[in-house]
Amino acid sequence: MLSYIIRRLLYTIPVIWGVVTVVFLLMAVVPGDPARIMMGQRGDPETLARIRSDLGLDLPIHQQYFRFLKEVAKGDLGTSYRTNQKVSHAIVERFPATFRLAFWAMIFASAIGVTAGILSAVKQYSFFDYSAMFFAIAGVSAPVFWVGLILLFIFAYNLNVIPGVGYGEGSVLYLILPVITLGVRPAALIARLTRSCMLEVLNQDYIRTARAKGLGEKTVILKHALKNAMIPVITIIGTQLSALLSGAVLTETIFAWPGIGRLAVEALVARDFPMIRGTVIFMALIFLVANIVVDISYGFIDPRVRYS
Amino acid sequence: MNKRSFLIIALFVCLTIFISGVGMAADAPQYGGVLKWREINDPPKGDPAMATDTVSSRMILCIFDTLVENHPDGEGLLPALAESWEGNEDGTVWKFHLRKGVRFQKEHMGKPTENKGREVKAADWKYSFERLVHVNSPRAYFLDMLKGYQDFVDGKVQEWTGIKVIDDYTLQFELEYSFAPFVSVLAYNSFMVIPKEDADKWGKDFNFHPIGTGAFVLDKWEHDQKVVLKRNPDYWRKDADGNSMPYLDSVEIMVIPDNTIAYQEFKKGNIDAFPDFPDEFYVEAKEKFGKLFQERPWVGTYYYGFNNSKPPFKDNKDLRQAFNYAVNRELISELVLEGRYSAGKGVLPPGMPGYNKDLQGYSFDPIKAKTLLAAAGYPNGIEVELQVNNNPRHRAVAEAIQAQLMDLGIKLNLKILDWGVHLDMCERAETQMFRMGWVVDYMDPDNFLFVLLHSDNHGAKGNYAFYKDPEVDKLLAEARIETDWNKRMSLYRKAEQMIVEDAPWIFLFHYSTSLLAQEWVRGIYLPAMGDYYTALYNVWINR
Repeated sequence: MLSYIIRRLLYTIPVIWGVVTVVFLLMAVVPGDPARIMMGQRGDPETLARIRSDLGLDLPIHQQYFRFLKEVAKGDLGTSYRTNQKVSHAIVERFPATFRLAFWAMIFASAIGVTAGILSAVKQYSFFDYSAMFFAIAGVSAPVFWVGLILLFIFAYNLNVIPGVGYGEGSVLYLILPVITLGVRPAALIARLTRSCMLEVLNQDYIRTARAKGLGEKTVILKHALKNAMIPVITIIGTQLSALLSGAVLTETIFAWPGIGRLAVEALVARDFPMIRGTVIFMALIFLVANIVVDISYGFIDPRVRYS
Repeated sequence: MNKRSFLIIALFVCLTIFISGVGMAADAPQYGGVLKWREINDPPKGDPAMATDTVSSRMILCIFDTLVENHPDGEGLLPALAESWEGNEDGTVWKFHLRKGVRFQKEHMGKPTENKGREVKAADWKYSFERLVHVNSPRAYFLDMLKGYQDFVDGKVQEWTGIKVIDDYTLQFELEYSFAPFVSVLAYNSFMVIPKEDADKWGKDFNFHPIGTGAFVLDKWEHDQKVVLKRNPDYWRKDADGNSMPYLDSVEIMVIPDNTIAYQEFKKGNIDAFPDFPDEFYVEAKEKFGKLFQERPWVGTYYYGFNNSKPPFKDNKDLRQAFNYAVNRELISELVLEGRYSAGKGVLPPGMPGYNKDLQGYSFDPIKAKTLLAAAGYPNGIEVELQVNNNPRHRAVAEAIQAQLMDLGIKLNLKILDWGVHLDMCERAETQMFRMGWVVDYMDPDNFLFVLLHSDNHGAKGNYAFYKDPEVDKLLAEARIETDWNKRMSLYRKAEQMIVEDAPWIFLFHYSTSLLAQEWVRGIYLPAMGDYYTALYNVWINR
């Protein structure tokens, strides 16, 4: 297992190098001079040249690339053009808020999705099944900003049971609506997938055997069927979690949540190359680590999976 | 009058005096309270030397002070950290007498500062101006008329020779040439005094640790959430009754990116001041909040520039004028902008000294436009590309103008680009027509006419239309050095009329600025320089 993990971690190095290179090249070809944006609408060419030189933008592209590679290898993601803040500091500062939101959104989504999926499968073609799948389709189709606005209008601005938007010094009350907003779509996906996987498993011979042996329906469903149906569900939970951890721009914007997504978008608008590169590398890392964690978790759920 | 009547009258008089006294007391400034001010994004800059955006400027204007400041209604300059100033006859030497007893902030984010609250002296000003060059401030070149600027920038000399400390409370500026708007330039929000000890301590991180002399001290900066500014107990300004200012305990700059949510938060009372009010809720807010909604012309102009250096607009005044006559500005403002922008006739906006309300501009006249189009060599119309930076408001205006011009056979192809790319292409004259706007840096016509239309400033320096007229150049250069105010204004009027006649742009609109504040927010006044210049030291909360 350990050698498998080490091998997987080593594989991430060329992937990260690929990401770093692609991001760098994209930034190099994208039009829009960051020094020019820093100067505002009016600027004298001399000052502009000095700022470009300060930022290293006057160097030939290959020199810029190797300099950047060297810095990344040393763990230095550079300094933001826009704010002068170390990119790594900015990410570390924003990540707890993103993590908190993504973590609870996935807990919410998994709890709702798995429960609804199991019940729908067990009570196939029942009123509950139709209703749950209707809501699942609605959840997948509803735009995040719309869900967020509707929730805010109902609970914060009409019923006044939630204080409003913002981080609220970490108060749980401020977390409820963004978590639901962010969790609705993954919950719907998980519910649909759990239902179909459960239905497949419930028709297997070993389930029939378990029932024939006289096992209780609860044991059959939760112990025998669910565990086997969970592998694809865990994959989707893992990928959804990594997507949420790399920032949920719309949710963060609506709820004025100080996360990675907003940081990345503001950097993009300002052509803040170091910040864009830093956040993209960070997101790539999140995806890679999440994938490794998901792969490892298969072994715990399905004893047939062996790591060699 | 019997005794009873006398008593009733006396009682009535006393009651009246008491009630009016209570009323006056309720309206008198009160100490305490928090003002929550909404902003759309986190301020990227806390260092005045580096700030070029309005959100940063909002915070900076709370923490720092300039030598002079703009009158809220644009009626000249007011003393700030300089009590008075005088220039020599040709305006090349300016002496500023500094206010005594002004102290740097002795606390910052709950900790003592390096300067320990010492008094501001003339040497601090010299340091602060020289620092602009040391940190490569994008605005240092605003002062390139000061003697020794270029040598200091090039590192040939150790000090900026044009800035002299005469004594602790007298600062002198020497200019290479006479530059009439010089004192106005000093009111710009990059030219603030900074304590050397703290700037040295923080280095580049001074951007996140701004320390000045202003009414508020930075207490907390939670990025993308809020900036908390606490009352500076040593602030130099006193009100008319000699009471210390500011009145507020603190100001919180709340970052709420979404306009819909920000407006709901305002309605719920979670924010107290909502600057730069969005179009989408304009009608509702104006009706609902009445006098609480402040709006006034902003000293700025919105225009479509022609590329005057390339065909089809180069050397074709008839064509440029035809476009000007073809646009119904009032209708577009009404339809697209809720009538918030006034129709523009020229370059200078209302509120700017030298603004000429009798200027002969262009009104919507499709017949004249058609005739001029034919005279320009395009009797069957013309197809041109208009480049606009990506913004819903600009896009809507462009689409409305596109529809209007279509009626005259002018086919306008829209090209929507990001701001950075848009700027790049405009400054390289790679467009046919482009959208641009300009809002005042300093209250002088020079900031519009010279910057945007003098041929020395082609490209990034401001003249994106690549307009060149030797006669206009001459008038604008003359006006820069003319010290007689009336003569200067008459030179600007003449130059502006010639520019309008030449039509290097489509003169579209003049901006407006707005601020919605809660009923309990008192003393808040929207200035002509824009919402982010709103003074907060004289604001109080009366709930």
